[in-house]
Amino acid sequence: MVVATPTTNRVLPFRTGGFATLAQGLDYAARGETGCNFYSPRGELEVALSYRELRERALDLAARLPSARLRRGDRVAIVAETTPDFLIFFFACQYAGMIPVPLPLCVNFGGREAYAGRLHGMLMAAGARAAVGPDDLVDALRIAAARTAVAQVGTPAEFYALPTSLAALQPLHAHEPCYIQYSSGSTSFPRGVLVTQQAIAANARAIAEEGIALRPGDRCVSWLPLYHDMGLVGCCLTPVMTQITVDYLASTSFARRPLVWLKLMSGNRGTISFAPTFGFELCARRAANASLDGLDLRHWRVAGIGGEMIRPAALDEFAQRFAGAGFDPAAFVPSYGLAEATLAVTFAPLGKGVRLDVVERGDALERGRRAVPVAAETGRRTRAFVRCGQAMPGYAVEIRDERNRPLPDRRIGRVCIQGPSLMTGYYRNPEATAAVTTVDGWLDTGDLGYLVDGELIVTGRNKDLIIFSGRNIWPQDIEWAVEQVPGVRRNDVAAFAVTGDDDREKVVVVVEVRGGLDADGLSALRREIAATVHRVAGIDAEIVLAPPRSLHFTTSGKLSRAAARQSYLEGGIRDLGDTAAVEPTAGTDEPPRLAAAG
Amino acid sequence: MTRVDDTLFEDICTLVRKFAPGGVELTPATELSADLNIDSVAAMDLIMEIEDRFGLDVPVNQLSELRTLGDLAGLVAGRLKGR
Repeated sequence: MVVATPTTNRVLPFRTGGFATLAQGLDYAARGETGCNFYSPRGELEVALSYRELRERALDLAARLPSARLRRGDRVAIVAETTPDFLIFFFACQYAGMIPVPLPLCVNFGGREAYAGRLHGMLMAAGARAAVGPDDLVDALRIAAARTAVAQVGTPAEFYALPTSLAALQPLHAHEPCYIQYSSGSTSFPRGVLVTQQAIAANARAIAEEGIALRPGDRCVSWLPLYHDMGLVGCCLTPVMTQITVDYLASTSFARRPLVWLKLMSGNRGTISFAPTFGFELCARRAANASLDGLDLRHWRVAGIGGEMIRPAALDEFAQRFAGAGFDPAAFVPSYGLAEATLAVTFAPLGKGVRLDVVERGDALERGRRAVPVAAETGRRTRAFVRCGQAMPGYAVEIRDERNRPLPDRRIGRVCIQGPSLMTGYYRNPEATAAVTTVDGWLDTGDLGYLVDGELIVTGRNKDLIIFSGRNIWPQDIEWAVEQVPGVRRNDVAAFAVTGDDDREKVVVVVEVRGGLDADGLSALRREIAATVHRVAGIDAEIVLAPPRSLHFTTSGKLSRAAARQSYLEGGIRDLGDTAAVEPTAGTDEPPRLAAAG
Repeated sequence: MTRVDDTLFEDICTLVRKFAPGGVELTPATELSADLNIDSVAAMDLIMEIEDRFGLDVPVNQLSELRTLGDLAGLVAGRLKGR
């Protein structure tokens, strides 16, 4: 019978810092009994991997990697399934002096081709020399690796079977890189965040000590994907650096049976778990009729929220639904972070739950960019934003205007940050790096927000990135795919997200249609475009078939999604399928119209 | 691909109907994402229903290879036969 790793180490003292590299952190954790546990889609424990065993297996593999003609500094791409193999490969790279590149998974029906294309872009951009993936994805990986620098593609078993090299291991040093994360950027131009050992050591320590005040007895449960920063840094690497046991559930298992998450929290006396708002929402929705018998969430002290705009109503619903199981809404900890800062930048104070800042809607907010506080929420005339806390010690947040001047409290502008874990840059992409770096060396996050008493409040995103159900979707990927549909021309497509009711994002794809199509032709085209969007992004988008000149272009000829979005919201984009012009829905909860200025 | 009998296909259609827009005819050639608008979140929900109904585990990494309802039924038939 498999036995889960314990919550605390018997003898080994709990340490949150003093490790210069990930490998040093694992070396220390391996002296205890804690580790990670992997659960089946139905929540049965399948594999327990102590940090001691993880280290042994990683060292063993590290000694074999040179037999795959890999050298120090080479990039090794790893499909980031939530499995022991992923962790073993990730840490083998650390010990072998190679740089791991986690790759995403794909669960869209019929999405295999688009997935291989996406992986190909990442393998190219990273200049990966080897790629490893599970048995049932390795074929897609082989297709993706064609015409790249990848010399070796295989399953974990194939790499484990390589002969051991006799050369001494040279783990990644404190001044070297740690990994490259491709969670932003489009298929054709993926942007890889290069995270250094210094950055991960600094961020893990700050999260543990300042953010969530980790202590012996804490136990983490995570279903977050390991190819995103919140899952990788927050719920995998930080626990290694702090000897915390983690119970892992695959994201796809969570999406099928979200309650298994709570059962693991309950059964293992989990104290810490993070999720984007949609995770809490999915859980509350699917559990609407489920029994709470035997579910005990009283030990859950940090229910971290991040990764997308925080929607307080959905969190309320979760708290109410699981109050009977002992869930304490004061455990909610809103936070702010991004891959470019390794992960975390701000945390709301612990034990206070979700605190709102309620401001006036209307001209002050939407045009004047001022967040004017009001005493209470009064429905449509006010807007409630979530306070995400102050920058952690060593970090700083400033709100800047277009000319990079700091703005005072309650003025909305670009969220810029500074700190010890900022990326050194996007890997091999100085242009993209320069685009997010201010003249004085701060990171422009691309988010909009304001400060109140040093606390950050995020109001929206300045960039065009679409975040849908916690997934980052680059609008270009949708646009380029739609441009391939017969009858659609290049530059005639704009994809963007709008906030619908309940702050939920909706994706809109506007396509200019030239030439007279009858009603049947239009509906066939609409269907084909919707299908294409599904294949490339796995989402249900609103397709607007608009007359020519509905879209806007900048003076340099670049599509302005912000202008298209603005025009859509104002009802300025007509759908040819409608007899009358499309009116904007009255009374919907539209976000402040700031993005158009970006 | 494993042969799919009519009863199995009908059983799967019953589950799929919950996720599909009304009025769409379900045939083995019906496309899961294009015709039925099953997004990645609904897909997981549907897979759970199938797993519970037939008492099996669906390998989620293979979903991206499934384009049609017939592909999905074939996968289920294969899992049932392999038990």
